[in-house]
Amino acid sequence: MTGPADGAVPVRRVLPHRYPMLLVDRVVELVPERSVTALKAVTGNEPWYGELPDCPEGPDGPVDDYPAVLLLESWCQSAAVLGTIGEPEPHVLRGRVPLLGGVSAVSFAGRVHPGDVLVHRVDLVRRLADTMIFAGTSAVGAVTVMTVGSVVLALRPAADLPGAAAPADAAGAAAPADAAGAATDDRPGRPGRSVRR
Amino acid sequence: MTGCSPIRGAIEVAGPGAGRPRITMRVGADEPILAGHFPGLPIFPGVAVVEFVRRGALATLAEPSRPGRRWVLSGIGSVRFLAPVFPGDILTADLSWSGEGTTRRCAASVTTGRGEVARAKLTFTERGAA
Repeated sequence: MTGPADGAVPVRRVLPHRYPMLLVDRVVELVPERSVTALKAVTGNEPWYGELPDCPEGPDGPVDDYPAVLLLESWCQSAAVLGTIGEPEPHVLRGRVPLLGGVSAVSFAGRVHPGDVLVHRVDLVRRLADTMIFAGTSAVGAVTVMTVGSVVLALRPAADLPGAAAPADAAGAAAPADAAGAATDDRPGRPGRSVRR
Repeated sequence: MTGCSPIRGAIEVAGPGAGRPRITMRVGADEPILAGHFPGLPIFPGVAVVEFVRRGALATLAEPSRPGRRWVLSGIGSVRFLAPVFPGDILTADLSWSGEGTTRRCAASVTTGRGEVARAKLTFTERGAA
């Protein structure tokens, strides 16, 4: 069994994401500047399942597949934990926001359903200033359900984002040249310890 | 039945069946994911932009080749995110399809009123009963 003491990496302190978009439950192994293994338990209580009919059946079985893009987001958040662990200021409005800059060579195999536990394995391939490149896989049990060729996360000061200054007026503001939607807040962490469970 | 999705917005398709269908969706401030991405700084996630393209693309695909099959997103060749997307933005994507048989590729350029926000290449594969 595992207990609270095993949560050596405080996910909620490292990631600015919150319900319903906090998609990492536990970090089981983290080697700074190198790799992370993290878990995400999929549950039918997530809001995406709120609008499914009572007995949803597709031509080839239940259609309660976990959305592929959320599988990717969950993996990217695991990468963001690796990329930003050790950040002194994880608050999204005060720190830097980790944005998804690019994705390539992602393949999905197999299906993910409520009750499955995703095991994300992420390697830091390269860090260039505030930009990080990651690669890895996600598995459910022995089945690899996603392979990620590369994901680029870029850390951007929240103040540079037009939405931060005036969220209500965001649509009219100029956008930064690169940066977009996914990941986390924070900056490159260089902690000198390895966290294991 | 396309299963569940993290985005709620209605996607409109212009010219379905045409060579280059166009899809649009308004990013509502009430999208549930915005509450947590991020508190105090709502940014429509990059993966949600991909989801917009996925759903719009599925709406423009022909029926699977036989009953019991369905199209699924089987891969993301590449996506480049060029600018963030905020509540209130109207997403528009021009799709261009290639490939045939049970594997199709969709290239999309996604824009808002501020210009291009993403470029994506998605792969769809027929899955299900043989």
